[in-house]
Amino acid sequence: MNCKELVYLLGDYLEGTMEEPLRQEFSVHLEMCEPCMNFLRTYDTTRILCRQIRPEEIPEEVRTRLKAFVLEKVREHNRDIEKYVEQAARERREEVEALLRAYAANRLSPMMAILFRTHNDRCETCGAFLRSINGGRSLAEIPEIPPHIEEHIAEFLDALPPGEAPTLL
Amino acid sequence: MRFGSAGRNPAARVESKPERSMPTERVADDNVLLEGLRHGSADAAETLFDRFHGRIYSLAMSILKNESDAEEAVQDVFLTVVRKAHTFKGNSALYSWMYRICVNTCLMRLRGKRRSETVAIEDFMPVFTEDGMHTSLVDDWSKEVERKALEKELGQVIQKCTEDLSEKYRVVFVLSDVEGLSNEETAQILGLTVPAVKSRLHRARLYLRERLTGYLREGKMEKQ
Repeated sequence: MNCKELVYLLGDYLEGTMEEPLRQEFSVHLEMCEPCMNFLRTYDTTRILCRQIRPEEIPEEVRTRLKAFVLEKVREHNRDIEKYVEQAARERREEVEALLRAYAANRLSPMMAILFRTHNDRCETCGAFLRSINGGRSLAEIPEIPPHIEEHIAEFLDALPPGEAPTLL
Repeated sequence: MRFGSAGRNPAARVESKPERSMPTERVADDNVLLEGLRHGSADAAETLFDRFHGRIYSLAMSILKNESDAEEAVQDVFLTVVRKAHTFKGNSALYSWMYRICVNTCLMRLRGKRRSETVAIEDFMPVFTEDGMHTSLVDDWSKEVERKALEKELGQVIQKCTEDLSEKYRVVFVLSDVEGLSNEETAQILGLTVPAVKSRLHRARLYLRERLTGYLREGKMEKQ
């Protein structure tokens, strides 16, 4: 091992991660070479001095300003999320209502009529409710849709394959 | 960064560094915090800020070297964490993920700016003969540093010299030697291999050693 190789390996030596045979070779060179011993000592002292550096502390006024800003932005973000969730729920409700109105007024598209009837003839969740609104009723006659029926029909809509619109214009 | 007043006992210095290991309670705390953030809890956002703002700010300052830039970077980091909390898979510690976001945010900011001048680290690497021997005598100034007053002074020299390093070396140095992260954690945060981290850290220390040697020999900062 020469001085250049020893300097290259200083980090591993000081961290104790060096393989034993290499460490012995390192130590032999170190005992015989004063420049390398001096290099090691000053490198290690540098390393120790570096570890004493403390992170920059945040000034109090910056901390206060940052906290107010971040928390306000988080509130805005949460409000946006709430709005989005509400809008998504509203759109989902409207889709379900449109489907039920079309069903009640016999205005489902041909494919949808087959799928929907096949489903509700056998469905324990929505079958009774759908049969109760069938038969050419006007929009105002449809009773309020119970939440579990709304969710169930929304899931039915989500699972439809892409293709024709579910209701006739 | 500033220079601490910990004594000469290396163990005492290590204790004051951020935690290297991840205690089970801390992981559980982080999971509760993340769950709160995912559900839009304002309390969770406040706890997140209180727990991490100091370390994130100091890291941003170390990279950006400018208070207002660091402040804007910290804003971006916290907003990113809140908005992306649902994407965090928990493969690393929360602070490690936040450090990664902070480093990326700061580097993006640096890319958009004219960079301040940095030194060529090659100019400070040790020189060897063709046979790999030292070309000149090597002073041992390690004993001189034991004087308390000089130790503090040298800390300030290191601080100044670190600021002259390019961010390639400075970021690794800050995460490893100032923040006290392991080479593995630093590598994960920066997307580098562990050998690359070790190599950059070693070169940063060689550079700082050479600057300290010059300072002690000349009694002043070398101008490059």
